[in-house]
Amino acid sequence: MELKPQPGMAETSVLERIEGRFGYATDQQHLPGLLHGAILRSRHAHARLLRVDTSRARLMSGVRAVVTAADVPGLNRLGIVVRDQPVLCEDRVRYEGDAIAAVAADTVEQARAALEVIDVDYAPLAVVDQAETAEQMSPLHGESNLLAREAFERGDTDAAFARCAVIVEHHYQTPRQMHAFMETEGGVAIPDNNGGVIFRVGCQSGHRDAEQLADILGLKPSQVTVEATPTGGAFGGKDELTIQPAAGILALQTGSPVLIHLDRFESCRTGIKRHPVSMIMTTGCDRQGRILAHRVDALLDTGAYASLGPAVLENFLDHATAPLYRIEAYSVSGRLVYTNNGVSGAFRGFGGNQATFAVESQLDALAEKLAMCPLALRRINLRTVDEPGSRGQVVRWSAPPTDVLAEAGASPLWAPAVSDARRRWLTGTGMAMGAQGNGLGDGLPDRGGGRVSLSAEGRIRLEFGFSDYGQNLAEAITCLVCETLGCVAGDIDVVLGNSRGPDSGPTSASRSSVLIHGVLADILPRWKDRVRDQAAVLTGLPCDQLYSGPGGLFAGGRQVLSYRELAEKGQPEQTRVDASQAFPVAPEGNQLVGRYLQLQIATVARVAVDRLTGRVRVTDLHHITAAGRVIYPPGYLGQIEGAAIMGLGMALSEDMPTRQGRYLADNLDQYIIPTLQDVPDQRVDVLDNTPTTDRFPVRGVGELGIEAVAPAICSAIEAATGIRVRHLPVDAGYLLAELCAQEETCS
Amino acid sequence: MTRQTQPEPCAPEHVTFELNGDVISQWVSPATTLLDILRGSGRITSARAGCRIGRCGACTVLLNGQAVPGCLVMAWQVSGCTVETAEGLAEASDFAQVRDALATESALQCGYCTPGVAVSLVSGLRQQQNGDVVDLEEAVAGNLCRCTGYGGLKRAIAVLTETSSET
Amino acid sequence: MSDPLSELNPVTERRAIRVLRPDSPSEAVSLARRFKVPYMAGGTWLQPTHERDQCWPEKLVALNAAWPAFRGLEDDSRGLTVGALTSLSEMARHPLVREYLPPLALFLNRVAGPGVRALGTVGGNLAVGGDLSALAMALDVRVDVLNRTGERTLPLSRWLRERASDDLLRGFTIPDCRGWRISLEKLGYRERFSPTRATLVCVHDGDRVRLAVCGEGGLLRLVAPETFVNDRADLASGDVGAVIDRELAAHGWQDAHLRMALRRMTTGLLSEVALGT
Repeated sequence: MELKPQPGMAETSVLERIEGRFGYATDQQHLPGLLHGAILRSRHAHARLLRVDTSRARLMSGVRAVVTAADVPGLNRLGIVVRDQPVLCEDRVRYEGDAIAAVAADTVEQARAALEVIDVDYAPLAVVDQAETAEQMSPLHGESNLLAREAFERGDTDAAFARCAVIVEHHYQTPRQMHAFMETEGGVAIPDNNGGVIFRVGCQSGHRDAEQLADILGLKPSQVTVEATPTGGAFGGKDELTIQPAAGILALQTGSPVLIHLDRFESCRTGIKRHPVSMIMTTGCDRQGRILAHRVDALLDTGAYASLGPAVLENFLDHATAPLYRIEAYSVSGRLVYTNNGVSGAFRGFGGNQATFAVESQLDALAEKLAMCPLALRRINLRTVDEPGSRGQVVRWSAPPTDVLAEAGASPLWAPAVSDARRRWLTGTGMAMGAQGNGLGDGLPDRGGGRVSLSAEGRIRLEFGFSDYGQNLAEAITCLVCETLGCVAGDIDVVLGNSRGPDSGPTSASRSSVLIHGVLADILPRWKDRVRDQAAVLTGLPCDQLYSGPGGLFAGGRQVLSYRELAEKGQPEQTRVDASQAFPVAPEGNQLVGRYLQLQIATVARVAVDRLTGRVRVTDLHHITAAGRVIYPPGYLGQIEGAAIMGLGMALSEDMPTRQGRYLADNLDQYIIPTLQDVPDQRVDVLDNTPTTDRFPVRGVGELGIEAVAPAICSAIEAATGIRVRHLPVDAGYLLAELCAQEETCS
Repeated sequence: MTRQTQPEPCAPEHVTFELNGDVISQWVSPATTLLDILRGSGRITSARAGCRIGRCGACTVLLNGQAVPGCLVMAWQVSGCTVETAEGLAEASDFAQVRDALATESALQCGYCTPGVAVSLVSGLRQQQNGDVVDLEEAVAGNLCRCTGYGGLKRAIAVLTETSSET
Repeated sequence: MSDPLSELNPVTERRAIRVLRPDSPSEAVSLARRFKVPYMAGGTWLQPTHERDQCWPEKLVALNAAWPAFRGLEDDSRGLTVGALTSLSEMARHPLVREYLPPLALFLNRVAGPGVRALGTVGGNLAVGGDLSALAMALDVRVDVLNRTGERTLPLSRWLRERASDDLLRGFTIPDCRGWRISLEKLGYRERFSPTRATLVCVHDGDRVRLAVCGEGGLLRLVAPETFVNDRADLASGDVGAVIDRELAAHGWQDAHLRMALRRMTTGLLSEVALGT
């Protein structure tokens, strides 16, 4: 069913966003007594720090504090998985974004001027800038630059290859993509006059950040608060702490609120990126096209610190096993290495889409060798809903994969495009599929909670710990609450992302929608009962005749008590219901690998390739999703479309190459993301066969849209030109050279 | 090259311009960006420093009626000019038309780039009113959005184009 | 060659920049000469450059679009004269552009973004070898330049070879090109708002074909390919490609793939002007 655009909720917050009054983290420029912070970054990608002399900086006008490693009150380390990154470097810098010192001053200009006179002596070290040779270089941490090595095996891969009629082996490379959220990292740290600090910073996990910050600042957990603050985009790039530690230390030192807002240059230089992956994939099948064997050898450049690298490696490998397809034997392994090439970490897709790019390309390669339709090859290898997942775990699809494929096969985009008069543009259509699991997976602790209450003003208040960076979470919550309680949007307040509120876990891994749905299913009926009990006392009506509706409680089709009256006359504090639940995992509970809730997408792309220049235009994208129920249609559509265009950027223009450990692009004139004129019209069809009785009818779709775009585009390019591109982003020059070579052969 | 690391600020200048109907008059260094003035003493939040080099559109404002990136305009250039931001345009009927189209078509997610997009669209609509042929999709080609993939924005522009061709 | 800024005393902050505002073009020239500082027109190229390295000239000489002949378009017997401080968007909208350079208005959509075009000037674009420079080169425009010795009019190509840092561009004159066939094309990193990788212009003046290119390898009039094409009857001949490739390679266009694209773009544009479409 095509997901037609539907009018969005005209929430006040939407209008405020449009008028620029929404109050983002970095809009807090006029707090009383506000100081501005700035951070000194390393001049070298790899060096020993011999001396950091801040004496001149302290004398600069307007400067209120200058801090270095010695001033970090608690643990001078940060990191979600491994705390290995110094807040302020002590004796060594490992990438050119490493922080060495921080300044708070009356104005930004004064703070930056003070950075200029901090004297730092470096002794440069050999730069580890090639992932391929990193393990032979002297280690950035510990004993070796090999941070992690992981392998998933199933069956006897060598024996299975021996039985293959056709084997394809190719090298694939994916780019170091940048999140390029429009609001660069920033926000304020405010001393609470009680020794603690309140943070209003763009982030993805208030509770987890508060824990880390308490350790860094040497405070008790109760002394650190992270308040919900609208964030101008994140996509994984604000999952780790960014400016919070420096702002917090400066706020404690000065007793004043401190704002730090990185400019785009600094954001590009310091911010986390997507892991570039270099991989060799070998895949074999029998003469009928049944895939028998699959081998992957991958190398991921994680940069100077671990960040979420090990988790990205796991998800990459999970996707490298080709979760949609039944493969008798596989051997999938990857190495994650430290280099001085910035830091890589969480990014929408989380390693999965890098693997899917290669897996889907391999399937096309097999089909070509067998002279078989690529869709037919997929059809005979796709799993059924009753089969376990690729790692033997129990999985739950919301539609049979073959149904998704059939819809893709029926896409109108397969009809040949009308070619231009001069036949300058070569057109072609291609497709790819992708699977994606929800949740942190692999048995990691994964819980989330929420709360409902009646506020003193008589509003139904829903609280979750998730951060709002534009995913329409409030709208989705409002839709679900209205549906369950029969109330209207105007009755509801949604409060997100406060570390003092319920802990929902991180806003990542497409987990929010699932937990929101699950928690609401738990707390709303209980809230309804409590409200009804109170209303029964107040109205004298029997409980079972009362029900909630728009504006208040009803009996026999007529409102008998407004929520406001209930709050005024009843005991609203008694209505509060909290709940927390584990993220859904396989019911048997003994196979803690991979992910239980699985989503699928098929993306059909039509492209036009310029015969004269090799440049590629994507003219159409059609997605078929099987990802459970749609709660808020405009939000669902927006997530798929937005993620897909991020995938388009990764396929065609986005990369952050390095030389000697330095990024070669430092702003949005050099790092090229799509403009409106670069994007095609998109269509999204939703397949939802989830039974009404399903306990988990809702899935998170924040990452699904990026999964299959790049391979679909490359498949379409091949259909148009006969040339398969396996290194992203697509190099127009390479494509052109291949086109020219082809023409020469033909003529 | 030797860099003067502690520059002396040059003499500030008196700059007077109209901001959203109010007169702003202040002493400021002449090379200060309009964006910094707006976000500083102007107390404007809708114009945002997304890149500071005029390449993202998040600081788009109307300068004498033309949509420009506020980060590429220097203080000395705005004396005597009229500057309008999303805050000031909020009451205008064409802005309301743009706002309704953006909201109804869900043309935004995080919303950080959206005021700049709205200002560019208002500028495009006003040029159309003056009889110029303006493609609204071209009018926002300089406004980068990272969340939406521009799907909702394309739909909002289709609505605006339909409405404006009817009138 | 030494860095022109090395003799100066660059500053690290905007607030330290002095903006000199001369009353007249001649005063502007003498200030630029005296302090060895650059002119500022729209500032859309200058500001990103210095914002990036956080190193600014301590003074800027501001140009004033109200100075006579510095802004606007006018035509007379010599052709179409364009003031250097005319903004790119003014130029795109101007009725005379539709008359003289029909494909330009649409092409300008691909030059910078709308907001930058409202500020950026055609003179600035020419001076930094932007998209318009290839067009100007192919059209043999004459530039109108002021400096300490007075004012002079000379071909753009000569000015670019000889220009001094205090040369002030007042405008340029395009010969009467009504009826000429003009084709131009840009290859960037994306469809809009991209620096140019290569901008190619092909002009048929009724008699001869002219070709010019600007972008990653620099501004270049493709003299040898022109001769090759003009001395043959068959404009769409594929053989011109090798000549183009040699010419580009000899003039600093290092990227072989980009040269390959330019060869093919040229063939495409040649067939357009030859066919009169």
